[in-house]
Amino acid sequence: MLVLDQLAYRHPGQPTGYAFSLEAAPGEITAVSGASGSGKSTLLDLIAGFLAPSSGSLTLDGRDLLPLQPEERPVSILFQADALFEHLSAASNVALGLPRGTDKAEKDAAVTSALAEVGLPEVGRQRGDTLSGGQKQRVALARTLLRKRPVLLLDEPFSALDDATRAAVRDLVLTLTKREGWITLLVSHHVDDIDAVATRQYRIAEGRLLLS
Amino acid sequence: MVIGAAVALLIVLVLWSITATAATDPGTSPSRIDLPWLVLTTTIQAGLTMVLSLLVGTALAWALNRLRFPGRELIVGLFASAIVTPGIIIAFGLLAVWGRAGWVAEFTGVRIPIFGLGGILFAHVILDASFAARILLARLESVPDFRLKTGQSLGLSAIQRFALIDWPAIRPTLPGLGAIIFLLAFTSFPVVLLLGGGPANQTLEVAIYSAVRLDFDLRGAVNLALVQIAICAGIILLASAAAPIPANLGRSAPQRWRDGAWVQALQEAVLVIGVLGFGLPLLAILIDGLGPGLGSLLAQPGFWRSLWTSLAIAAASAVLTLLIGLTLAAARAASPGRLVKTGIGAPAYAYLAVPTVVLSLGFFLLARNAGIDPELAAPFVVVLANTLLALPYAVSTLAPPLEAIATRRGKLIRALDLSGTQQFRSVEWPLIAGDAGVVTALAFCFSLGDLGVIALFGTQDFATLPLLMSRALGAYRSNDAAGIAAIMLLLTLAAFVLIPKLFQRLGHARA
Repeated sequence: MLVLDQLAYRHPGQPTGYAFSLEAAPGEITAVSGASGSGKSTLLDLIAGFLAPSSGSLTLDGRDLLPLQPEERPVSILFQADALFEHLSAASNVALGLPRGTDKAEKDAAVTSALAEVGLPEVGRQRGDTLSGGQKQRVALARTLLRKRPVLLLDEPFSALDDATRAAVRDLVLTLTKREGWITLLVSHHVDDIDAVATRQYRIAEGRLLLS
Repeated sequence: MVIGAAVALLIVLVLWSITATAATDPGTSPSRIDLPWLVLTTTIQAGLTMVLSLLVGTALAWALNRLRFPGRELIVGLFASAIVTPGIIIAFGLLAVWGRAGWVAEFTGVRIPIFGLGGILFAHVILDASFAARILLARLESVPDFRLKTGQSLGLSAIQRFALIDWPAIRPTLPGLGAIIFLLAFTSFPVVLLLGGGPANQTLEVAIYSAVRLDFDLRGAVNLALVQIAICAGIILLASAAAPIPANLGRSAPQRWRDGAWVQALQEAVLVIGVLGFGLPLLAILIDGLGPGLGSLLAQPGFWRSLWTSLAIAAASAVLTLLIGLTLAAARAASPGRLVKTGIGAPAYAYLAVPTVVLSLGFFLLARNAGIDPELAAPFVVVLANTLLALPYAVSTLAPPLEAIATRRGKLIRALDLSGTQQFRSVEWPLIAGDAGVVTALAFCFSLGDLGVIALFGTQDFATLPLLMSRALGAYRSNDAAGIAAIMLLLTLAAFVLIPKLFQRLGHARA
């Protein structure tokens, strides 16, 4: 269980700050909605370790995550754009999810398998910038599969996709979350996305998270 | 349109006067110029300068991008000032630090050969790598936050981070930047004049100057000029095919992703070497120049005459550059079609292909052919030549924002039925005042530090500070040269900082 308890942060120069409390369970998608500028991305930055809170706690199954650097946190993150390094092939992008020094044969097998799992077994050699928006997000999910981190943070990941692709990628995220037992936190302002996949829903209002 | 035609006509006249002289001047004696050797040595020097400057510039930009410390902005500003720091000042500063009587020789007893190819490369790399570092730093600071967060979350190593995030950000800029650096080094004049150490290390520009002023070999100079123009035009054509160098210098975001301790130590070492390399010569100039010897310089009427001449020429060139640049940029923005836009901008950009000494030679021949005493024409020619040389920078800086305004706000402006004056005062000026300030500062500083034009047109009574400094060096009056260098450096830095601030304030006042 991922637990945030009064995790507080205030951006420099802003009169009021945030104090986030939230619980998210494995195998479930927990959604957070809110108006633009309400603090959705700040919430993800705090969990991922890009921002340091002034007080409060952040634990995963009782383990304190706050002392950990972003690269040490048990977290994968997926953004609306820039999910891939576009000058690299899809396979090289996926391989970044493996620990450094992984044997080449092992790496090739893992990448092939991960790409197949997200429904893109044929794009391994293609450069990132030749893939469609939906393919890019799927490739990023394949990388997430290899990283084997229990928490997946999604920052508006479906916003740039057309309706049909969006539904397909959304369903893939839900399937993988259930199968892998990920604690998935979805930040979005699209009610359709949230209603389709979220088990638990929060809304940010005046710097606080309210359970809907 | 009229101004664009006048700018185009001038370049045609300059080229015509040079080619006509080449065709008619019989020459007084067989030329001693070894053209293939000159082209080869100049190309090698410029190529080495380009490669070394890009390498050092990339390392400096990488270090500056990663490190955060008090005074960082000052160092970024110091590197940015390299674009306006006159070559003659850096060359003189290098002599003050590394020369036979410089700081290094004085404190360590070690004498480093500063004259020759090594000294030229040293001076060029100090100037051009600093300039490159500022441009590349802007590219690194434009990397989207999402990308950095993804990389940090993936735990990329320092090498992976450079290869996957930094390199793709800077790579598109390198060909254009490299071409500019090659061009600057290929056409370098004061650095080569001061540090070349003789005919073995010349550029075409210095050879042209020597042919005109020392050997009176006008035909040889003209031949050199034509070769120079052809090569520069070729480089510019190659550069124009590369991605443009962005005019804006990017943001300076807080750096949350620190590299490991060893890599940080390497970054700090790179930065210290860079700051010492660029900063020490400048510091040496200020310490040597503002010492006790300054009094005797300030007592010379010739110094004050040159100071006012320099300031007047720089101010006149800056104002003229801004006016012509704004007019051409506005005409480009208002014109329909790519072809017409190119037609309006092309004459201004053509001056990139005409190096300083060549342009000066063209005006010199033009005045001579028209029966005008070059001494009488000198003040006007020096202002005009410096204006034309700064014009490509002015148009390339002012045209994009004006064209963006025309594209995005054109319909609204027409719907509101704004007059041309209203449009400029209320819409365009507040948005481009900052860019106009940068253009004016660049033109002022370029003109203040110019030696190429004044070297051909200067006389005993008509001299600017760089010419006075060059003469002081030639006469072994190093105290005077140091004082002039220090005053030029202070004037350049003050203009570079204050003029853009003044224009920003004017822009805000109007907004």
